[in-house]
Amino acid sequence: MGTPVIEADNLGIRFLKTRRRNLKVRDLFLHGGRRRPGRDEFWALRGASFTISAGEAVGVIGSNGTGKSTLLKLIAGVLIPDEGTIRTHERVAPLLELSGGFTNELTGRENVAMVGSLHGVGRAEMRDLLPQIFAFAGAPVSEAINLPIRHYSTGMRVRLGFAVMAHLRHPILLVDEVLAVGDTEFREKCYATIAERLSQGRTLVLVSHNESDLRRFCDRGIYINAGSVHVDGSIDDALERYREASPAG
Amino acid sequence: MLSEVESVPHGRVVAGSRLAELWRHRGTLRLLVQRDLTVKYQLSVLGYLWTLIEPLAIAVTYWFVFSVLYGEARPADGEPYVLFLVSGLFAWMWVSGVLGDATTALTAQRRLITTVRTPRELFPIGRVVAKFFEYLAALPVLVVVAVIYRAPFGPNLLLLPVAVALEMVLLIGLALLLSALNVMLRDVERFMRLLQRVLIYALPVVYPLSKVLDAPMPAWVKTVYQLNPLVGILELHHDAWLGGSHPPARLLATAVLGSVGFLVLGWVVFRALEPAVLKEL
Repeated sequence: MGTPVIEADNLGIRFLKTRRRNLKVRDLFLHGGRRRPGRDEFWALRGASFTISAGEAVGVIGSNGTGKSTLLKLIAGVLIPDEGTIRTHERVAPLLELSGGFTNELTGRENVAMVGSLHGVGRAEMRDLLPQIFAFAGAPVSEAINLPIRHYSTGMRVRLGFAVMAHLRHPILLVDEVLAVGDTEFREKCYATIAERLSQGRTLVLVSHNESDLRRFCDRGIYINAGSVHVDGSIDDALERYREASPAG
Repeated sequence: MLSEVESVPHGRVVAGSRLAELWRHRGTLRLLVQRDLTVKYQLSVLGYLWTLIEPLAIAVTYWFVFSVLYGEARPADGEPYVLFLVSGLFAWMWVSGVLGDATTALTAQRRLITTVRTPRELFPIGRVVAKFFEYLAALPVLVVVAVIYRAPFGPNLLLLPVAVALEMVLLIGLALLLSALNVMLRDVERFMRLLQRVLIYALPVVYPLSKVLDAPMPAWVKTVYQLNPLVGILELHHDAWLGGSHPPARLLATAVLGSVGFLVLGWVVFRALEPAVLKEL
């Protein structure tokens, strides 16, 4: 395999069990918002170390609430670890929450420019990409290019969101089960896009519960349980351990 | 472009590299500001006119109450009250706008912030800059008022950029501080709505500073009053348009130290709270 692009070293992050209602002003200043480790905290992820090389496709498997999405967010840099380090040596395209970054009052075109630029796409590059993005998003969206996003349906937003992310030329793709959204035809389009990006040598980290998705794209699997990495091996090994751990399915 | 990124537990990243990162993302800042202004002006029929109507309506109200009804609020030396009022009020509207908008800079944009890796400081700073452009957009009105009242357009106007720079520094500090705190304690937002309405009376906006200094109050009250860095900043705004004596050195020193102090405090608190803020958003 190629050079390492994602390196996690003893990565850990903890959350509060109780919400901020219990947070006192005093705590904020005494502990800088990172409270003393105590009974009301738990480690969503701890001691995770792994290296992902360029061109690898890694599936992250585990039951709900075991730290999969947290791991993805740490790689994306939208969470800051409490322990250890996470390094990414290439730019990351996170497909975490697809329609999240859109501003209701702006048009589809303006939103695409906005989100694209936040992900580091230059203005000239954006001009070239815009037609491609709207063409990819398909009929109802491409006709609403100059309509404020608030008039878009949920499905249209997701389509546009995926289209933007899919056209980022970032070498690392992070995908968090968003593929489950959209109609069958669009989902197939998403799969095809991911397969195409993979064949171009990009790196993929996919969080999913869907076995066939995982087997389709990934050759390596990371099985996470209760915040720690249990298996880091072939996708079959990881899926097997996951099935053993959760007999109900 | 930036491709090498390392996330480590907080506190290890030095301020200098953070500043460099902010500078690299200045294009993003421009975009956020553009978006805020577009949203504000696109949705209203009157658009840009609102920038003028709002402060003018308030100015007329204050003028009626404090000059017509209570004629005593006039500044000394026969300075035109309307010009005094408007020059201070426009500077205050910027402050008030920031107290309202920057406080929610992180909470209102949570879905954007939690999907994009970009220096989070840009969101509150963007709100301050957007409000600055609204201040700039209203400046022509101030110029017209100044012409009507035959203001001395002279070297005193050089104080204006100083006042604006100090105010910018202070407001960025406040925005960083308040936006991060508001994620942890939503009470901040409500408190700011109160402060927006009250703080104006603790500043020389509708009345001149001399009124406070001559008032029959204990000396320590006057000292506390003048410890507010905004007092010196507003005096600079007044002097820039009205001419006359410059604010005393003590007041200027308070303004400079206070503004820089708030910037440092705001940034330190923002950086300290950032990991918790991201978890909470």
